[in-house]
Amino acid sequence: MAEAFKKLPEKLQLATSAHVKYIQSLDTRKDEYDYWLTEHLRLNGLYWGLTALHLLGHPDALPRAETIDFVLSCQHENGGFGAAPGHDAHMLSTVSAVQILATIDAFDDLEKRGRGKAQVGKYIANLQNRQTGTFAGDEWGEEDTRFLYGAFNALSLLGLLYLVDVDKAVDHIVACANFDGGYGVSPGAESHAGQIFTCVAALTIAGRRGLVDADRLGRWLSERQIAGGGLNGRPEKKEDVCYSWWVLSSLEMIGKTHWIDRDQLIGFILRCQDTERGGISDRPGDMVDVWHTLFGITGLSLLEYPGLQPVDEVYCMPKSTIERVLGR
Amino acid sequence: MADQGGSQHGIARTSRARTDEQRTLDLERIQKYHLLEEEIRSHVSQHNYTPHVFQLTSKLLKLNPEYYTIWNVRRRLLIYGLFSKPSAGSLPSTASPTSSPTATTTTSSAACSSSLSTATPPAPGPQTAGRSGTTADDNNNTEETHGAAEEGNQQNDLNIIKTELGFTIPLLLESPKCYWIWSYRLWILQQAIDRLPVLVARRIWEEELGLASKMLTKDRRNFHAWGYRRHVVEQLESSQLGGKSMAESEFEYTTRMISQDLSNFSAWHSRSKLIPRLLDERKADDAAREMLLNEEFGLICRAINVGPEDQSLWYYHRSLMLNLVGFVGHPTITPAFSRDDRVTYVVREIEGIKELLEDYDDVKLIYEALIDYTLYLCQLLGRQPDVTEKQAMTEWLAMLKKLDPMRNGRWNDLERDCGLLNGGRRPKVVSIDVGQGQGQGE
Repeated sequence: MAEAFKKLPEKLQLATSAHVKYIQSLDTRKDEYDYWLTEHLRLNGLYWGLTALHLLGHPDALPRAETIDFVLSCQHENGGFGAAPGHDAHMLSTVSAVQILATIDAFDDLEKRGRGKAQVGKYIANLQNRQTGTFAGDEWGEEDTRFLYGAFNALSLLGLLYLVDVDKAVDHIVACANFDGGYGVSPGAESHAGQIFTCVAALTIAGRRGLVDADRLGRWLSERQIAGGGLNGRPEKKEDVCYSWWVLSSLEMIGKTHWIDRDQLIGFILRCQDTERGGISDRPGDMVDVWHTLFGITGLSLLEYPGLQPVDEVYCMPKSTIERVLGR
Repeated sequence: MADQGGSQHGIARTSRARTDEQRTLDLERIQKYHLLEEEIRSHVSQHNYTPHVFQLTSKLLKLNPEYYTIWNVRRRLLIYGLFSKPSAGSLPSTASPTSSPTATTTTSSAACSSSLSTATPPAPGPQTAGRSGTTADDNNNTEETHGAAEEGNQQNDLNIIKTELGFTIPLLLESPKCYWIWSYRLWILQQAIDRLPVLVARRIWEEELGLASKMLTKDRRNFHAWGYRRHVVEQLESSQLGGKSMAESEFEYTTRMISQDLSNFSAWHSRSKLIPRLLDERKADDAAREMLLNEEFGLICRAINVGPEDQSLWYYHRSLMLNLVGFVGHPTITPAFSRDDRVTYVVREIEGIKELLEDYDDVKLIYEALIDYTLYLCQLLGRQPDVTEKQAMTEWLAMLKKLDPMRNGRWNDLERDCGLLNGGRRPKVVSIDVGQGQGQGE
């Protein structure tokens, strides 16, 4: 496979150093209005950038000590994390915090200087709806399989999955399944690639992947690739780099990655790069952002693009981290 | 981590360089933004749950509807300040509420970051009283003063709820994919159920269907709006709003959406979920069920005849076919069909699709369906594909590989699994129990 990439024109190579610089520059833009408008995503953004840097082979490109300090400064008494200091605790930012600390091997700091793993676990576990098994994003009650996956992801990294009713949660995921093999945001909702990732990954963490109809789901997922090589998230929608992650990781989990055209997808992702200033966008020629940058790179990693560190298809983190944390 | 808020979608790449003028402008905007933020934080840390602070949150949310913490501040302002306190039913707290928080917050001093303790009940204390129990129509003659106060409270809460629903509309129209606005709106609607008489709350919820329709007219596939519609319908059907099933009217809605745009898979999906319920509620007999199945096949086949390249249509067609073959343990349209009935229908569909090839010989979805449905037929008959079928499938597979080389990995697996390789193993035909025709779904 590596042979094929040597034939790629120069401009269709991965612009690794530009991407590293781009991610490093993200926190230096405090004089831009957008920097402040996106503060509610700061911790998530740190996770996206940090993970991309690790996969690009530059794990030390962000200062470790400052990273830990910032993460801990987002934690609340109740154990949950907000997106930035002064922002309310939420499942999404709490999961990002746990993922960041796991990636830079800083659970000890959480124990010594933060509120500790157990309190984080308690915060997350309290968000489970014990009747239906699903999870809310915060105390205000919005429920979504994204939060269920996030809970499973973080709790399993913390070794605290036993705090929640796994069987109930699994039942809930099964209730979200559709005839096409996919999963929706809640029972009755149409299949959506992002939700499929969350459901299949959560089932995998729970050790219940056998519940997935791999053949039917694989077919639906493989149909997400459209002319031009990119993937969309639902039938008859436009392609978008982020689905290089949601669709591809799901295909990987069910062993069907070979059901799409790898080279064409690689070409599509590479065409979405800003090779000069770094970063990856949703489609060629659009504005880049760190979210699409990560999911372009994780997609390339799953496709075994040369020079990238392998990404774990369930956790969306470096495989080496998952092996270390879960003792695999 | 699966939150897309704040990411750039579909915005053309431009040079990142700003002129000095733009830079100065940015700095001014940042300063204003921070001042506003600071002002809110400082008020909240002093528990000033006043209309003034409420206005400040409106201002900030208009600048940034993604700022979820501010939506939460707004909720707390309502609960602890502006909504009436049902527990103190004798105190008409309609007019300008004072800044006396109901000391249920934790003592944490971290400004608006002070979440309400570690417990996570979505509905903190005040609203539990006054819900459902004594509604206007019950009119169980307790003290009249109490009743008057309660009425005043409800009027106050009704006004707030209506204002809040109005506030979020322009924000939703501008940011239709912003999770936080949708979730706040649903929370407000929940307040209507918790604080208002059933009939009043119901009228408010009924209007939400109009919003869902409006959003779906703007973007027919917005899954936030579809999800919202599903939720609204569920609530309207529930006993807490004195509701009854809306399966019939929702079914009609999908018919309208489909007639405007055949390619709307969201509408087809919704339809597939509604049909089993619809039939149960109609107490449809076997003949009525078969008639509906025929109507659906007719509708979808006419659509496929016009647009055989459209995946949405084939997904729906396949869902009907699965009703015939994979029906055990699922809600189904025709549970009483015998195996022969099922075979007849599958054969009829296969023949119809073969006819399509006369007009469209280069549409891969047709070949895919032919292979699938041939395998379905074999499943039903509990046998392997015969020589003729194998030959046909080999030809169709060759077309798939030619027309859709992107998915050759899949076609190769299919070829192997169907035993179409030279000397290949026996095909993977899953045996299903067709004797269980009574297994009618929910």
